[in-house]
Amino acid sequence: MKIIVLNCGSSSIKYQLFDMEDEKVFAKGLVEKIGLHGSTITNERDDGDKVKLEGEIIDHQQGIEYILGVLSSKKHGSISDFGEIDAIGHRVVHGGEKFSTSVLITDEVIKQIEKYIDLAPLHNPPNLKGIYAMKELLPGLPQVSVFDTAFHNTMPIYAYMYAIPYTLYTKYGIRRYGFHGTSHSYVSNRACEILGNKYAKSKIITCHLGNGASIAAIDKGKSIDTSMGLTPVEGLIMGTRSGDLDLGILTYIMRREEIGITEADTLINKHSGILGITGISSDMREVEEAAEKGNWRASLGLDMYHYRIRKYIGAYAAALGGIDILVLTGGIGENADLTRSEICKDFEYLGLKLDAEKNKGVRGKEKVISADNSKVIVIIVPTNEELVIARDTRDIVSDTVK
Amino acid sequence: MKTEVLEDYALKKRTRQKGSLKKVGIIGAGTMGQDIAVIISKQGIDVIFIDLTEERVDEIFNEISLRLDEIINKWGMTKSEKRAIISRISGSVDYNDISDCDLVIESINTKKAGSSKELRKNVFKKIESVVSKDTILVSNTSTLVISELAQVLDYPDRAVGLHFITPAITVKVVEVVKGIKTSDKSYEFVVKFAKFIGKIPITIHESPGNISTRLITTIINEACETLMEGIASTTSIDTTMKKGYGMQFGPFELADRIGLIKLVKWMENLYAEFGEQKFKPNPILKRLVRSGFYGKTSGSGFYHYENGLATAETITYPEIK
Repeated sequence: MKIIVLNCGSSSIKYQLFDMEDEKVFAKGLVEKIGLHGSTITNERDDGDKVKLEGEIIDHQQGIEYILGVLSSKKHGSISDFGEIDAIGHRVVHGGEKFSTSVLITDEVIKQIEKYIDLAPLHNPPNLKGIYAMKELLPGLPQVSVFDTAFHNTMPIYAYMYAIPYTLYTKYGIRRYGFHGTSHSYVSNRACEILGNKYAKSKIITCHLGNGASIAAIDKGKSIDTSMGLTPVEGLIMGTRSGDLDLGILTYIMRREEIGITEADTLINKHSGILGITGISSDMREVEEAAEKGNWRASLGLDMYHYRIRKYIGAYAAALGGIDILVLTGGIGENADLTRSEICKDFEYLGLKLDAEKNKGVRGKEKVISADNSKVIVIIVPTNEELVIARDTRDIVSDTVK
Repeated sequence: MKTEVLEDYALKKRTRQKGSLKKVGIIGAGTMGQDIAVIISKQGIDVIFIDLTEERVDEIFNEISLRLDEIINKWGMTKSEKRAIISRISGSVDYNDISDCDLVIESINTKKAGSSKELRKNVFKKIESVVSKDTILVSNTSTLVISELAQVLDYPDRAVGLHFITPAITVKVVEVVKGIKTSDKSYEFVVKFAKFIGKIPITIHESPGNISTRLITTIINEACETLMEGIASTTSIDTTMKKGYGMQFGPFELADRIGLIKLVKWMENLYAEFGEQKFKPNPILKRLVRSGFYGKTSGSGFYHYENGLATAETITYPEIK
């Protein structure tokens, strides 16, 4: 079974072509600058063939047309006919309260995703554009929607509600939804697979530490809490997002700096986080370098970043009533040994002990890095959201065909 | 890595798509033209502005840079966003440099007294002489009608009115004006463009002053009338309208922000068109303009300004104790 996985952003599309017989990626690529000057597609085939195409792409539909054109071309293609494609899997950011699993896309589903544009105004519209385009270009081909929020739909109500007037929940659906669900789900499952633990019995905390970062508490295979909320600003300190913040501060700043909603939004989303504190960069590597050279604000940024994660691990250990496995993933979780060792510090009372030697220098590899006598297993699992989307798509399509 | 031409991988051969937007020209880069350039460039579209002299072009880049710094200082933008915005803007004194634009916006600004009609017509004519047949022409005028400007064009169906309201970067609405000869295609293109640059398009059949200028001039004129009759002070009138009706600025603050020369010009155009007394510039406005009190940028208008903040009223009446 061959499946195309699409992740449509506002001016970009990431794609992968999977052969689900052996979960192999035939080709993957990136469309950039849709609707802008100098659009490009970079396509990479599994045999190493790599090409960059330059031209004009006015919208997502045209971008996807070109993706199909490249994938089916003689020169750089991986298929000879579109008939070979069995299904399309889409990443959709917000599935609201309606979708707790991936679903086959129907007109009804599309309508519902359109309804959730309100909750994810930057993400759901481009996701939908990909769905509309595929519907028109390859009509009749099954399409599956995999939601970033779905995995967290198992959170208990006391964890997802905010202590604001209840009517705001009924009126606007204001509650915690959480994001990175596909990643949290994949890495927690995969960790159990590697360790031979029973997923349905384990207490797992997963840290997805990338440019955006979130942490999830997973009990018996179900997400029971996560740090991102209605929007991706809440929780951990991120590259340019503040994470948790005293709400009073925001209204105070707005008054003192005489700024409006747009500026306040930019302030907490783009000027804050590691960049805002250090004044150096949102890139962890640059901040680590500066800290090594003695820049105290860089050190402060790192300390705050690590402390926030530790606080959340402690909180989620309490929420879970213990912890069996701590999973680290995302660009920083997979590559930064300093971050890994700092966030695992002082957890001996929980039975968590890191093996410094095992942790050292691991980059993007599945590996257990806790000490042999550690009660809690700490493991690095590189995330693979595309694979989850492909698998869900395969499962749903096979079920439907049966 | 090899680089190839994308079009060779199209599923079906197509010619250059109509309705695509890659480059926008702006004629006249005063405050409004600069703001429009920023708004468009922010969406990733290349912008070229045309102004009178090379020195002025350099100045304009400085002004844009300062304007963006102000926004950054108020947390509305990041430095890298500023770099990206400026990198997509270019300036020139040569109309030939806009020949490859898909859309050209006329936003000239003249301090000279009298109507800018002939000047704007001239600009339209010059634009048409260099651009392709498919290029859409828009004018940012509010009190002149687009049909009249379009008279000078060989293809008047491509002319559309697009009126930005000051400060254009933050105001969410634009008025999209359809002239008698404006084709549906051209009009839809501009409506789509307005949405693309993040504005809410208000569709309007052409009429001098559209909605915004027609209503704001009458409000300001009536405020002047109230002041002239000695009913209340400048500040009291402003405060009443702000606190009473939730206006962000009172009528006099607004007049100072718009600039009194421009305001008088708007009113004169509307008065000439409708012949109605309510549009006739109030004597107070003319008195202030003659005294060189042009509004906020000149340091004085209805208020005196220091560092951009109003410090005192210019016209005072005894308050009731």
